[in-house]
Amino acid sequence: MGGMNKEIELQSFFIFNSAFGPKEGDLEGDQLKKILYYYPSTDNTRVQEDNVGLVEGIVQFTQTFNPSSPVSSLHTSKLRQLYFQPEPDFWVVLTLTLPIVTKVKENATSVEYLEEDLQDNVYEAALKQAYYMYRLFWGTFQNTLDKNDLDTLKLRMEIFFTAYLKSIKISNLDILTIFGGIQYLPLDRQTFLNIQCFVNFIESKWNYIAHTAFLYNEHIIWSGLEPNDMQMIYQYLTGTLLPANVETELQGGSMPRNTASPFISLHHGRFITGPTNLKQAKTIGKVPKVYLFSQGQVREYHLVVYRALSATVCFFIEGKTELALNDFKALDEFINPKLSSIVNDIAEYCSKQVVTPSSTPETPKFIYFNKLNLAYKSSVHLDNKHTGNVTCNKDSLRVMSDMKHTNSYLGLDGENIVKTTNDYWVFSKTSNLREFYIVLQQKNASLIGISEEVKRLCETELDRIFFHPM
Amino acid sequence: MADFDVEPGAARDNVLVASESFENFEQMSSSLEEIMSVNAISTAAEIEDDTTTNTQEDITHNQENGSEINEKQEDVENSLDWTNKRKHIFVISTAGKPIYSRYGNEDKLAWLFGVMLGLFRYSRDSIKSIHAGDTTYVFLSKKPLILVAVSKTGECVNQLTLQLNYVFNQIVSMLTLKRLTKIYDEKANYDLRRLLTGVDRLIDHLLDFSENEPAFTLGAIQCLPLAISERDSISKIIKDACSKIRNLVFAILLGNNRLISLVQMKKYHLHPADLHLIFNLVQATESLKYSESWTPLCLPRFDNSGYLYAHVSYLADDCQACLLLLTVEKDVFFPLSEAKQKIVEKLRMGNNLEHINTSLAALEESALATGFPELRHYLYKCKSTVQFYQPALCPPYTKNKVRLIELYKRAHQKMHCPTRPLKLSFERSSDEAVFSWDTKGFELYAVFEPLIDTASAINCVSKLLNWIKKREDKLFHLNAYTF
Repeated sequence: MGGMNKEIELQSFFIFNSAFGPKEGDLEGDQLKKILYYYPSTDNTRVQEDNVGLVEGIVQFTQTFNPSSPVSSLHTSKLRQLYFQPEPDFWVVLTLTLPIVTKVKENATSVEYLEEDLQDNVYEAALKQAYYMYRLFWGTFQNTLDKNDLDTLKLRMEIFFTAYLKSIKISNLDILTIFGGIQYLPLDRQTFLNIQCFVNFIESKWNYIAHTAFLYNEHIIWSGLEPNDMQMIYQYLTGTLLPANVETELQGGSMPRNTASPFISLHHGRFITGPTNLKQAKTIGKVPKVYLFSQGQVREYHLVVYRALSATVCFFIEGKTELALNDFKALDEFINPKLSSIVNDIAEYCSKQVVTPSSTPETPKFIYFNKLNLAYKSSVHLDNKHTGNVTCNKDSLRVMSDMKHTNSYLGLDGENIVKTTNDYWVFSKTSNLREFYIVLQQKNASLIGISEEVKRLCETELDRIFFHPM
Repeated sequence: MADFDVEPGAARDNVLVASESFENFEQMSSSLEEIMSVNAISTAAEIEDDTTTNTQEDITHNQENGSEINEKQEDVENSLDWTNKRKHIFVISTAGKPIYSRYGNEDKLAWLFGVMLGLFRYSRDSIKSIHAGDTTYVFLSKKPLILVAVSKTGECVNQLTLQLNYVFNQIVSMLTLKRLTKIYDEKANYDLRRLLTGVDRLIDHLLDFSENEPAFTLGAIQCLPLAISERDSISKIIKDACSKIRNLVFAILLGNNRLISLVQMKKYHLHPADLHLIFNLVQATESLKYSESWTPLCLPRFDNSGYLYAHVSYLADDCQACLLLLTVEKDVFFPLSEAKQKIVEKLRMGNNLEHINTSLAALEESALATGFPELRHYLYKCKSTVQFYQPALCPPYTKNKVRLIELYKRAHQKMHCPTRPLKLSFERSSDEAVFSWDTKGFELYAVFEPLIDTASAINCVSKLLNWIKKREDKLFHLNAYTF
């Protein structure tokens, strides 16, 4: 035994802009000037130059044939490289090693690279997300060049990406990464209106608060932002900011919504960006600036996040506003009492909702995604932190990503049902920009039986969603 | 589901070597030396090589006039028309010499060949594919050549690699791998086009062929429908006429891209990939219709190191089936010509020619005509005999066969993903519903009307399998005859 298996690993990540290098024909020039960021720094300059050179060659070669979009990936026998050109001349490149299995056959071991287990659509999405996350905090690369200089840009990249790369769990990414979706919490009318009132009141009282978003646990209840902007904010909140704070909180916070107790009445409302301890604060502390892009122009905001019990309220304050400690104090005084009653209502509503029975391997698992509002629901994933904590086998998830890829050939509306060699059934349906995937593990089931089961599930899980009849 | 024990089309003796279409292409099934030594006949391999060089160079000479005309044409290589071709194929030697380009003149594309070679070397020979929007770029290294496909057809990397393998095999079939390697060992920057004039046309045709025929994707052969007694009697006539001829390895009778009969030397089997090359040769070479020909031919999957010699002729003016007699002897044209005459006489006497003609003229019926109104088209492949059957095209695919073939290619790819193969898939779009099924014994791909419900589709599939089973002895080549 002793077979060595390896998961997908990050080999390198770099950003370059050929325009910063020597002019064409100038062979003596310093090629390294093109490179704005390179990970890992342990690769020597020769390797860095070669890697960038290859990408430049590939970009040029592929353009010869007029592809419908710029080059997105390179497959070699052991590696996968993904490309993204977010701004003119800037290329962001991610290199991954293919997963490996070692097989022992007749006493000889052989290493096999599982090319198909590294899916382009998943990692292209991860690469784009890395850039968009950078852009959320620093604006475009060009913006930094225009307002500051090249060295500042390099420094910002260094600080941001080095930390970001450490935080992504590269081998646990799957179809959810492609969606980059948002989880919403549906509520009863009264509670929802209460929240909307609360938000409207704040926005009119402090008119420099341009937008507000309201979350309960990791679910959005209200967001005044465009979905595309909210998408990155949501990734940041659920992926970085909230988990870091939940750990430090004394109570409440991370409890799943179904078990959140309405008896917790003590409130611990506080700012988690800004002055985190208002009583002792002398300054306003750290408030991140974010850049939002959806409304056809770049807008700069202070992102102030307030958290009480399981609720998180995000305020997007006009970037030009000078923030003062007193504003925070006033805001806190206003929010604190109102929020605890709202949270109680939400918790009460949630506890009344039917709790899905504990899942067995035979329970069908599903993933739903709506491209219009970026909403997703998954009973496959036990959390949304890419921990690999999933309720079906990884191959079924990969089959879903395959289907997502091939569904593009089916046009706007289509459905597909497949049976894998280990007797899983995977179903997919696309209609009205909504996507629905189901995994069923039923031995000895027939296609007809599974089709009926799928139909039933669509009716129960998606009863209020209109699918074009097929 | 369907009521039979053995899948339709299965036979006790396999006529062809059963294989998966994506399997390792280098594996050969046989050895010419073995045939030679077993039959203890002269093995003057070296002399063979020389004679073929001569004949090939004669052809080169004849075609030189043709290439001058080409040079007067405008620079198609820079035009948008050239850029937007759906599938480019390039062949370069590892030393960077242009060998083949599907569109445009290789010499004018020298810069592009340079770039491709550069990328290949720069990536330490490991580059497999590049993806950019609708365009897929596939690289295949087959020493001493590098083959590249640039495609906007939506075909996946495996399908394109398969086609590049066919192109390589087409080149090998003219030169043998032994000779190809030797040429480059001796002179790394040799201009292979000197030896390959005429092969261009074959490669062109092969590529068109593989874009229009499901046979390549399935790695299987389709037979001309004939009553079993009829096929047996034809095979027997061929066998009897050739039984006295030493070292005859294969006798192949084909028509209309369909196999009619295959008789082979004991213990030796033909690989479907080789048979595809033979079909291609016959289809692409109009001149074979007018006279008997004698041509050296290497079958790469059979033995890529040496030539077989083929006597190629059409049966008669009134019967457009083509007979190929393949031997390891390089100077038996006349005995084979006599044998052919004998075969034709007997076939004529036994009314076999008439039956072949009837079947050639009739072709397959559409699924609709055979009582499956919701079934538009299907492919059935029997795995053990690597033979397949497809009905005639019917609307909406009659005008756009390529779309149907690409549909099948996608379905096939989906079923055969190396790490996640599927057993079954039912896919529905607003245009059609595609049912794919891969079992131990067979593969089935069926295209239905889009609105068919699942139960009727399943019902139709099981009726279809029974229908095929009932006609298996007509649709497939079941009995193997040997010399």
